[in-house]
Amino acid sequence: MKKKKALITGYRGQDGAYLSRFLLGKGYEVYGADRAGDSGQWRLRELGIERKVKEIALDLLEPTNIIDALEKIKPDEIYNFAAQSFVLVSFSQPVLTAEVNAVGVARLLEALRKAAPKARFFQASTAELFGSTGSAQKNETTDFYPKSPYAVSKLYAHWLTVNYRQAQHMYACNGILFNHESPLRGEEFVTRKIAASAARISKGLQQKVAVGNLDALRDWGYAKEYVEGMWLMLQQPRPDDYILATGETHSVREWIEASFAAAGIKLEWKGKGLAEKGRDARTGKVRVEVSKDFYRPADVKELVGDAAKARKVLGWAPRTRFRDLPALMVQAELARLEGKKVNL
Amino acid sequence: MKKALITGVTGQDGGYLAELLLGKGYEVHGVRRRSASFNTARISHLISNPRLKLHYGDLTDSTNLTRLIAEIKPDEIYNLGAQSHVAVSFEEPEYTADCDGLGTMRLLEAVRLLGLTNKTRIYQASTSELYGKVREIPQSETTPFHPRSPYGAAKMYAYWITVNYRESYEMFACNGILFNHESPLRGEEFVTRKITRAMARILLGEQNCLYMGNMNSLRDWGHAKDYVRAMWLILQQPKPEDFVIATGKQYSVREFIELAARELGMTIAWSGKGVGETGCVKAVKPIAGLDVKVKKGDVIVRVDPKFYRPAEVETLLGNPAKARKVLGWKPEISFARLVAEMAASDLKLALSEHCLKKAGYGAVKNC
Repeated sequence: MKKKKALITGYRGQDGAYLSRFLLGKGYEVYGADRAGDSGQWRLRELGIERKVKEIALDLLEPTNIIDALEKIKPDEIYNFAAQSFVLVSFSQPVLTAEVNAVGVARLLEALRKAAPKARFFQASTAELFGSTGSAQKNETTDFYPKSPYAVSKLYAHWLTVNYRQAQHMYACNGILFNHESPLRGEEFVTRKIAASAARISKGLQQKVAVGNLDALRDWGYAKEYVEGMWLMLQQPRPDDYILATGETHSVREWIEASFAAAGIKLEWKGKGLAEKGRDARTGKVRVEVSKDFYRPADVKELVGDAAKARKVLGWAPRTRFRDLPALMVQAELARLEGKKVNL
Repeated sequence: MKKALITGVTGQDGGYLAELLLGKGYEVHGVRRRSASFNTARISHLISNPRLKLHYGDLTDSTNLTRLIAEIKPDEIYNLGAQSHVAVSFEEPEYTADCDGLGTMRLLEAVRLLGLTNKTRIYQASTSELYGKVREIPQSETTPFHPRSPYGAAKMYAYWITVNYRESYEMFACNGILFNHESPLRGEEFVTRKITRAMARILLGEQNCLYMGNMNSLRDWGHAKDYVRAMWLILQQPKPEDFVIATGKQYSVREFIELAARELGMTIAWSGKGVGETGCVKAVKPIAGLDVKVKKGDVIVRVDPKFYRPAEVETLLGNPAKARKVLGWKPEISFARLVAEMAASDLKLALSEHCLKKAGYGAVKNC
């Protein structure tokens, strides 16, 4: 049988790297596109798949680039992870965020319609679409209320994907992914920043870490498992949109406590708002501070997802939950500091 | 003197709004795109007014928008500029997103970066196309969106980025979710204008037949002149909010055709179904002083599937209760009067076309 071909945009990011390994394991020929340079190469190295993905030149800002790549590869499946994916940055770079996250998807879908209309398309949608729609669990029928230029750009991409499915009859799916973390997360994201800081602090390599809103509530899963759900979405008889989530909600504060505990540090909280500090209960040293720099102009208080449809239709369920995830990430950071192989 | 900046000033709404604001004593700055064809016909009657100033500009050009806003420091911005044709958006999705979606954000960003958030109020022309495949009937400010076209998706981006800038930076930025609004100034490529224009030309023998897409589509049609008044009211409130602007009444495209024909003395009888449906002249009333060419039995409406949209919006019906209560706004021009006005205007145009041709215009183009 001919090898299936997959094209992953943003393949050196967290999800792209995990999905690359997963698809290589399934015997796919994997093509990856990412920004020029070698940012994120460390992820492929740590996963042991360096040079196994065929890198191609494709930029979501360049329509001719996209058509060229699609005509050359003729992929069976396309996973679009390329994005300006950091919410806070979207407030200071709203144009770039929209150019890549929104118009980039229009370019990609339009190129697909012309060059590979039978290919199956996965769009990385996000729980941020729900923004401030209250505390109830979100499912595929919940209304959207985006709260950042990032979320608005992703909302456009979401609906455009739906539109190409309904109007152009393409196999195009949105995976509405709730927060998914791993040791391969970028360090600018709060979970990885905390895990890395807790590990370094425990080794005496760092004094403290500054974070934003401690009481933001999120539904955190393990990225390694979420990429399996994405793949499953493209193997169905009919294209559809699915939520991937754990259904549990925890605060940033809990994430910090669990991460520091995994590094052997018990934290005590004192103060309120911006003055709140987390101290090492044993030594009294300040390890966690709150900084205005990490507050969003419009914040999303709580996000929790209901993945019942993915469970029922795709047979997908998360295996790693909050009780294991921060520890797993801190262990990886400790291994890195000690020069050991990271368990991914 | 208050200053207003209007993007899309050369369009239907831009024309009516410029007239309204000039009447209220505003200094009106209009942004128009450079084009190889003249595009200021809709504001030609206003151009001699010294308080109307036109600037070249484009929603895809951040520097240009920032410079214009820095120079003018407007009290109010009305963002009416857009690639506003739904069917075209399926052919030009990228441009539609850039202009309708990002263009709005470029304006909001310019106001924010120039430190005008406390001075400048922004009106964003949102649309009933956001509701697309409607989740409830009628649609109000709380009805969830389901856009059905690249145009709808781009306008949804603009809607939410407007809400986001209001919430994040406390800007006075509002969406008017306007249901279809028509007038004699509507572009000829839009269905209502296409219908009235065709009926008038058919009457005088300048055209044989009107080719249509989905005639079962139901729309809530108002008059643009009423709707620009609502835009202005939205920016005069104590706090910024979003409003649905609609009539609350619904008619099918087929009914629009029947009424337009009747205004011109023609009665239509329908037969067939779907792509095979035709509209045939059942009766014609003579009009004094007019050389009516259409005859009983002529087939004047046919379906051409090329006008079907890849994903149809079947029904749109707005609930304008909030606008009525908060803005004190209600439409003053009825559906019947709207169609009558459009038909009469297009009859005049068809008549001048007819006379020009009769006098030899067009026949000498090859010499």
